[in-house]
Amino acid sequence: MAEKIIEFKNVSYRYNTEEEGKVLPLALDNFSLDISEGEFIAVLGRNGSGKSTLAKLANGLLIPESGDVIVDGLNTKDDENDIAIKQIVGVVFQNPDNQIVATVVEEDVAFGPENLGIDPLEIRERVDEALNIVGMYKYRLHEPSKLSGGQKQRIAIAGIIAMRPRCIILDEPTAMLDPEGRRDVMNAIKNLNKKIGITVVYITHYMEEACEADRVIVMDKSKLVMDASPREVFYDSSKIKALGLDVPQTALLAEKLENEGINLNGDSLSVDELVSSLDNLLKARLD
Amino acid sequence: MLHDITIGQYFPLNSKVHKLDPRVKLFYTLVYIIMVFVCNNFVALFMTLLSVILLTIFSKIPFKTIFKSLKPIVLIILITSLLQIIYVKSGIVLIDWWKIKITSGGLLQALFMTIRVSLLIVMSSLFTYTTSPTAMTNGLDRLFAPLTKIGIDFNVVTMIMTIALRFIPTLIDEVDKIMSAQKSRGANFESGSLMKRTKMLIPLFVPLLFNSIKRAYDLAYAMTCRCYNGGKGRTTMNALKLRLSDYIMLVLSIAFIAGVILLNKYCGEYNAEFTFGITL
Repeated sequence: MAEKIIEFKNVSYRYNTEEEGKVLPLALDNFSLDISEGEFIAVLGRNGSGKSTLAKLANGLLIPESGDVIVDGLNTKDDENDIAIKQIVGVVFQNPDNQIVATVVEEDVAFGPENLGIDPLEIRERVDEALNIVGMYKYRLHEPSKLSGGQKQRIAIAGIIAMRPRCIILDEPTAMLDPEGRRDVMNAIKNLNKKIGITVVYITHYMEEACEADRVIVMDKSKLVMDASPREVFYDSSKIKALGLDVPQTALLAEKLENEGINLNGDSLSVDELVSSLDNLLKARLD
Repeated sequence: MLHDITIGQYFPLNSKVHKLDPRVKLFYTLVYIIMVFVCNNFVALFMTLLSVILLTIFSKIPFKTIFKSLKPIVLIILITSLLQIIYVKSGIVLIDWWKIKITSGGLLQALFMTIRVSLLIVMSSLFTYTTSPTAMTNGLDRLFAPLTKIGIDFNVVTMIMTIALRFIPTLIDEVDKIMSAQKSRGANFESGSLMKRTKMLIPLFVPLLFNSIKRAYDLAYAMTCRCYNGGKGRTTMNALKLRLSDYIMLVLSIAFIAGVILLNKYCGEYNAEFTFGITL
C-alpha cells in the first residue's frame, strides 16, 4: 500500500453566515477519507453535496470545524504548515478566467514558483516543463485572454504543476468548457497521473470522466456514501440514479450485457477498455 | 466594438526602442521633459527636436501616428500662440493695425512655445507607444523595489496593476454578455434621452460589480493556492537586466543633458535680435 498523502479524519465544516441567529447546515459532516500517493480519484455528487468544500479543506484554504486534515503528516490547522501544505497539494478551480494572474502565459505559470522565491533559472526550467506537460509550450508568449477555455484551464493546471506538487485537486475543471476543451484537459490530467505519478483528485459532474479514474467517491448530503472502483460504483444503476447522478453509457452497456449473461472482465469503465474487452470476448467466441 | 479598446496606446513593434529596459525609457522620458523646459534658445530646442526625431526613426513608429498624438492639444496650442502673438511686444513691429501690434518677438515666442509643448506630448506618447503595460509595471516594480527597505511595499501596488490589466479584457467580455442578455429581454442602450440612457447603465453595472466581487474571491483562493503572501521574498523569472543598448541609452541621456546646458550657455538666451544669429 502506498503512502497516505491526505487524510480526512472525522472532518466537519460549516460556512459562516452574516445573518444573526441563523446557522447553516454542515457542508461536510463527519467525513473521513484516505488518499494514497499516486491514486486517481474521481469525486461525484450533486450540487451542494460538499465536493468543493472537500477541495478547499484538502490544502488548508478552509480549516475544519472539527476533526483534522493531515497532509503528508502536517495538520492544516497549524499556521506554520501553510506554505508547505500548499506546495504539496495544489487546487485547480472551475473558472479558468478567475485563476490566471498575469498578462502573459509564461509569466502566469511562473507566478507560483516566483512566490516561493525560487532561483530565476530554475523557474524558467519549471515553467517550460509545466507548459510541455499540458501541451501549451508554443503558446507561452500569448495573452491568456486570447486563448480558448480549454487552453486557459491547461495554463491554470500548468501554474500548479510548476510548483511541483505531489497531489492536484481539480474542482470541476471542465464544467465551463466545450467538448474539445474537456478532452484536452482530461488528457493532460491523465498524463499527470500516469506518466508523472502525481496524485489526482478529480471532482466532476461528468460520469464519463469519472470512469477514467481508479477509484470513485460519491458524496451526498455532506457525507461520503460510496467509495469503490468505477465498475462497482456504477454497477447498481438504480442506486446511482437515486443519488441524483447519471449512469455513464459504458456502465449501462456493461450492466445490460451482464443481465444477458455476458461478463466483461476488468474494473474500468473507460470506453477504450470496454472496447478491448468486448473485442477479446468476440474473438474468443469466434475461435 | 468593445474589443478594439487598447490599453494605454502601446504600439507593438520589434524595434531597438521597444526592446530598451522600461526603467531606462522612463528615466530618459523624465530627463527629456525637464530639459525641454530648461532649453532657452532655438539652437538647444532644435537639438531636442532632432533627438526625438532620431528616437522616432529608431522606434519604427510611423510619423503619422506621432502627429496624431498631437491632435488633442492643437486647440490649446492655437489659443496660447494667439495670446503670445498679441501680448508679447519686443523686437521689430511687423504689423500695426488698429489696436493690434504684432512684433517679431511675439511671433518667435509663440513658435518657441508651440515647439516646446509639442515636444512634451510627442516624447511622452513615444514612451507609451514603445512600452507595453506589462513592461511598464515590471519597470515600476523594480524601480520602487528599494522602498521595501523603508517599509513601503510597492510590490502590492504593481500586483494590483498587473491584475487590473489582466482583467480588463475579461470584464469587457462580461459587459458584452450582460448587454446581450439585457438586450434579449428588450433593453435599449442606444436610444432615448441622456437621462434614460444613463439609467440603462444600472442593470449593466450592478451585475458586473456583483460578478467582479465573486471573481475577486475566486482569484484570492487561486492566488493563495499558489503561495502568494503579499510578495515577500518573491523572485522574478524574467528579471529585468540592463543590456549594452540600455547603457548606451543612459550615456546618451547624460550627453543630452550636457548638450542642452552647453547650448544654453553658448548660444545665449533667445531674443528678437539674436536667433540663429539672424538679425530680423
